Amino acid sequence: MSTSETGWRRVWRAVRIPGAVLIVLVVVAVLASLGDEQFPEGHMDPGSVDPQGGRALVQTMQEDRDVHVVRSADGAEQALDAAGDNSVLAVFLDHRLEPGEVRSLAELESDTLLVQPTLQTLEEFAPGVDMSGRTESDETLDGGCALPAVASAGPADVAGELYEAAPGQAVTECYAAASGSAVVQVEHGSGTTTVVGTDHFMTNTELADEGNAALAMNLMDAEDVVWLRPDVHVPEDSATLTELLPRSLLWSAVPLVGALLLLALWRGRRLGALVPESLPVVVRAAETTEGRAGLYHSRKARDRAAAALRTGFLDRVQGKLGLRPDDPRETVVSALATRLGEDPVRVRALLYPDRPDPYAGDDEALNRLAEELDERARRLR
Amino acid sequence: MVVTGRSVVLALLAVGAVLVSGQISPQVTALSSAVVVALLVLDVLLAASPRAMRLMREGDTSVRLGEAATLSLVLHNPTRRTLRGRVRDAWPPSAHVEPRSTPVRVTGGERRRTGVRLTPSRRGDVRAAGVTVRAIGPLGLAGRQRTLAAPWTVRVLPPFHSRRHLPGKLSRLRELEGQHTAMVRGQGSEFDSLRDYVRGDDVRSIDWRATARNDGVVVRTWRPERDRRILVVLDTGRTSAGRVGDTPRLDHSMDAALLLAALAGRAGDRVDFLAYDRRVRAQVRSGGKGSQIEQLVTAMAPLEAALVESDPAGMAGTVMAQGRTRKLVVLLTDLDAAALEENLLPRLPALTSRHLLMVASVRAPEVDAMTRERGTPEALYRAASAERTLAERRRVTAELRRMGAEVVDADPDHIAPALADAYINLKAQGRL
Repeated sequence: MSTSETGWRRVWRAVRIPGAVLIVLVVVAVLASLGDEQFPEGHMDPGSVDPQGGRALVQTMQEDRDVHVVRSADGAEQALDAAGDNSVLAVFLDHRLEPGEVRSLAELESDTLLVQPTLQTLEEFAPGVDMSGRTESDETLDGGCALPAVASAGPADVAGELYEAAPGQAVTECYAAASGSAVVQVEHGSGTTTVVGTDHFMTNTELADEGNAALAMNLMDAEDVVWLRPDVHVPEDSATLTELLPRSLLWSAVPLVGALLLLALWRGRRLGALVPESLPVVVRAAETTEGRAGLYHSRKARDRAAAALRTGFLDRVQGKLGLRPDDPRETVVSALATRLGEDPVRVRALLYPDRPDPYAGDDEALNRLAEELDERARRLR
Repeated sequence: MVVTGRSVVLALLAVGAVLVSGQISPQVTALSSAVVVALLVLDVLLAASPRAMRLMREGDTSVRLGEAATLSLVLHNPTRRTLRGRVRDAWPPSAHVEPRSTPVRVTGGERRRTGVRLTPSRRGDVRAAGVTVRAIGPLGLAGRQRTLAAPWTVRVLPPFHSRRHLPGKLSRLRELEGQHTAMVRGQGSEFDSLRDYVRGDDVRSIDWRATARNDGVVVRTWRPERDRRILVVLDTGRTSAGRVGDTPRLDHSMDAALLLAALAGRAGDRVDFLAYDRRVRAQVRSGGKGSQIEQLVTAMAPLEAALVESDPAGMAGTVMAQGRTRKLVVLLTDLDAAALEENLLPRLPALTSRHLLMVASVRAPEVDAMTRERGTPEALYRAASAERTLAERRRVTAELRRMGAEVVDADPDHIAPALADAYINLKAQGRL
């Protein structure tokens, strides 16, 4: 049927441009995402390529040792169990660990590197060592101690939190500053615990400066490095939003949907179908005349316009002068000139001009012609 | 299936019941939903069947454009249940039906009369689209509806605005027949009767032969010819579709044709009617004497201008085929130079040799107004274009007159009286 066909065509016409735009957007997005590797983000994340990330260090270390990245305390314990004796546990962002997890990690008594630990963690891993102050973070400190890792690395950007051991404790303090040392190593059971007051020197941006890289590599000098960067702890038994809402509220959605459907049906149901009616053609009778006016205007047909204006004028005055339509030009000119008291040459120039018509030169001249004809028509009235 | 606002309220009550139910909400939800659904289904089943209703129509079958038609609809409920609800009598939008729907209540076995008023805004046949009956159940929650066929057609007739000119033209006609006052001798060439001379009569009209046979002086009276034939030909081609003012040229032509027909009917002439574009669209043949306005109006009502080029040659052929008797052929068309010169003018001599042709055309006042536009170059070009149109019209008019046809060219307000005057003048001159 023709109506349904035009209906479909209209739908198609309405939909095709938005549809095409959508398809182009999807294609562009897919092309743009091709070959784009997603890197994790975050401070000292082993995979992160951000300035604050740790990917450079991890990649460098993986050339000569195994780096096991773990995200939880349990994972760290399993990784340490699996690794050999020559292993080191590096703990970042330890504030994300629970006290119990810190304690069980400390009880493993493996070689441990604590990076900017909390006081609690410090207490578990290195009892007797305490935080004593801070230095500005862009200072470069000299090693100045017997620790082989530090001695071979030289000066490094380790300025940050500073530590101090209780008097009489066996401790190696390196990178001394005004109120303490930036790197502290103590015995902890069968292993050692090394405490670093900052992770600044291990980030992607700083790793290449001074002895930063050497210091970081030396501090984690083992066959297996367990890199513990815990994820944010999610409590397991927290309630979701739906669990917090009263059950009756949730159940009331069922009759509510029904009520809305009934409302739509009530307001939307017509009392009988729409009645179609064929509409009449609307054409103004003067339309062809207006069309021709537009044509004259667009083509600047001043010669034709001038001729039409003159014909109209002559037709109006002929009756008043007692002339017939087929009278010769000379008769018309002389009759008009006599009646108007004008020079016949002027009247002739106005009505029957020489070629080219001086009144068809531009719109201004055409306007002058119309005014002169109007003025004479008024005088003849 | 229809629902009411009451069913929405019921469903909202169910929502409230579930909200306050606390721990037993699943059970309450199931129960309340079941109750709502059961009540709705029950109400639908208990509603009177709209399909069983019987409809009967009465009322106007024709109305003049601009006036209102009253129709009544009798709703018979043959079932045993009571019909509650609404009834909508659907008509096309241009019929402007009032009221759009009516609330009804018909107990079983009874009838109920409702009515609508149509005020059509377009000429032609208006057909009823059907009657929609919505029956709501006894609970007022839901029901059924059905659209039933109830065919009816109202013919919307041409308005015949020019009726107001009729008394004036009739008095001119009576003057012509000598009936107006005794002082005026009837014009025309047809012998009417002999009567006694009264002072003031023209002495030239004294019939000396009759005077000799009588006691007193007897004069002859004359009257215009009667029983002449007039054929009104309406051009329904594309040029008639153009709107002059707000109305198509066709409607103005119809108005003029109706005044002419009314006048001719009173003058004792017989009027035939023909609507033509490329074929005969409508035709009325005069049966006898008297007014044929009703027949004409009914024939004209459904006519619409067709978007085709008229075929004046075919039209002339149809006119010629209507008989050899001399008649006045009134052609209502547009003086469109291109169409007339190409097709009609070559056939004109054949037509005018046997009949008297009168061409009547509605001129657009818009074009006349355009010739006076001045000021901007665009206005000048419009004025020039309008002058060109008028010049072409004058040329066609002159050409038609040269070939012996009468031409009536007037704006919409004056076309009907102008055509009537032209007819009266022809009658006065005895040229019919």
